[in-house]
Amino acid sequence: MFLTKVLFRRFLVPAALAAGTFHAVVAQDLSPRIAICATCHGQDGNSRAAATPSLAGQPRIFLENQLITIREGIRVIPAKSGQLDGITDREVIALSKYFSGQTLIPVASQRDEGLFRRGEHLSREMLCGTCHVSDFKGRDQMPRLAGQRENYLLHSMRQFKNNQATGRDTIMAASLYGIADQDLIAIAHYLSQLK
Amino acid sequence: MKIIHKHRLCATIVSSALAAVASIAQAQAPAAAPAPPPAWKQGLPASMADSKLAPLAGKMTVTEASEIPLDKIKLPAGFRAEIFATGMPGARAMARGDDGKIYIGTRAIGRVYELSADGKSSRVLVDKLVQPAGVAFKNGSLYVMAINKVLRFDGIEKNPAVAPIDMTAAFKLPPEQHHNWKYIAFGPDNKLYVPFGAPCNICELPTPEYAQIRRYNPDGSGMEVIATGVRNSVGFDWHPQTKELWFSNHGRDWWGDDRPHDTLHRIHKTGLNFGFPYCHEGKLADDSVKKVDACKGVEQPVALMGPHAAAMGVTFYTGKMFPAEYQNVAFVARKGSWNRNTKIGFDIVTVTADKDGKNSKVTPFMTGFLNPSDQSFWGRPAYMLQMPDGALLVSDEQLGAIYRISYRK
Repeated sequence: MFLTKVLFRRFLVPAALAAGTFHAVVAQDLSPRIAICATCHGQDGNSRAAATPSLAGQPRIFLENQLITIREGIRVIPAKSGQLDGITDREVIALSKYFSGQTLIPVASQRDEGLFRRGEHLSREMLCGTCHVSDFKGRDQMPRLAGQRENYLLHSMRQFKNNQATGRDTIMAASLYGIADQDLIAIAHYLSQLK
Repeated sequence: MKIIHKHRLCATIVSSALAAVASIAQAQAPAAAPAPPPAWKQGLPASMADSKLAPLAGKMTVTEASEIPLDKIKLPAGFRAEIFATGMPGARAMARGDDGKIYIGTRAIGRVYELSADGKSSRVLVDKLVQPAGVAFKNGSLYVMAINKVLRFDGIEKNPAVAPIDMTAAFKLPPEQHHNWKYIAFGPDNKLYVPFGAPCNICELPTPEYAQIRRYNPDGSGMEVIATGVRNSVGFDWHPQTKELWFSNHGRDWWGDDRPHDTLHRIHKTGLNFGFPYCHEGKLADDSVKKVDACKGVEQPVALMGPHAAAMGVTFYTGKMFPAEYQNVAFVARKGSWNRNTKIGFDIVTVTADKDGKNSKVTPFMTGFLNPSDQSFWGRPAYMLQMPDGALLVSDEQLGAIYRISYRK
């Protein structure tokens, strides 16, 4: 309880301000939700945990779609179990707008030049930029990859490759068919280094 | 309580992160193998490598009736569109029960909706399914087909709480998901017709059980492959006079803005080959998956439906409400293109043709979802359902709405 209150006091007001265009009432309603997300994803959408994705700067529609599929129990993330129960569509839209509007602060590991170049080459060869855009900042329903947590990128691509990305885009699964794990490692390293 | 719970979860995440780091270190040692071409972009020429075309984003949240720009819809004189139902994100194919309830499949949101006969109230009948796009109603039972599951709800209209019977094992669904969301319907032979799309944009099939249309007895027994070489069909209906199956088919992507067309076909006998992956439109040999005499023995389409237009639902009109000229005419919903620099589709067209499929003509019927001048769109018509009074319902997958089209002189 106490921690919840602290989170509210510390995060809610900035959250409401950052939302900007939101009516104050909406921002206030959103605050408890942001506080819950903040526990793992950071109040500004920048994750502090290596395997937890950052939400800051992600396309709004991408966030909306993920929140809905997670709420619906279609995309299953054990760590999030139950946290989105009962969230309304309106809250989903507002949360997505809020986190989409935050600035991503990439937390890249030490660059391995060989791995970086290999990842750069593979990303180009595999045409990842067609959907995720050439600077990998994503658009619409397609997530930003640039500056995302390296471990999360790798984890997510492995899920797609191994047909474990239940409820997610089958096109993405199809585009990682048969790719070697070391290639995924190089791509994750490269993308996480981008700003 | 909740907070403690969350901290424990974060600890779990950190430990799995450490495991991931360890596996990175291990996996760096072997020499890198060349990456295979991504399956869904196989056949994409170097000239299109910089293309920014990508599938259009769906909308998974509720759209209120007041947010729907109904006045933008254009129809021929005498027809009008009204909002029949809203609030069902992802609404696609519709199946009407004997008592008038309407069952509606979806893809990404994983739900099947049950809509009251008057369209005024709906509920989520079943959720958490993997793209349950296929719905069909027969003898009091609702059949739901997801990519990896088949459910039957017996007596659902009378007993809203009935538990489904899992029929999955009998249907022997193949494992690949891409293009394997379904449209399903019962034919005049009382068999359940089910398409199995190619699990790629353009490829040699990984195993033969894809790119085909099958039919089954209602219990899943007696499976027959009735057509092969069908890349991805998600809509069909039976000609009211010949009782032959006419189906829409999505053409491949990444072959330029103007080829190949989506197609409308007819099945005048079983065992026909419709060309995939070697031949498109019955006449264009593929440039990446090649075979000598690629189009030899391949069926010719009834109609070309527009390149990349996403031809979906097919409904022959047999009602009494529309003018006589619409009798036995095929309505085809074109959800709208993504793999084309200038958008096409986002409409419903009529296809008139002779009974044997000759002399087809495609005419726009319901338009206004797309604004050609700025390439914006607000809705994506996907399927139709003819009502007992002869009105035509149209589902809009983008806005989760259903429109009712009626006619008055």
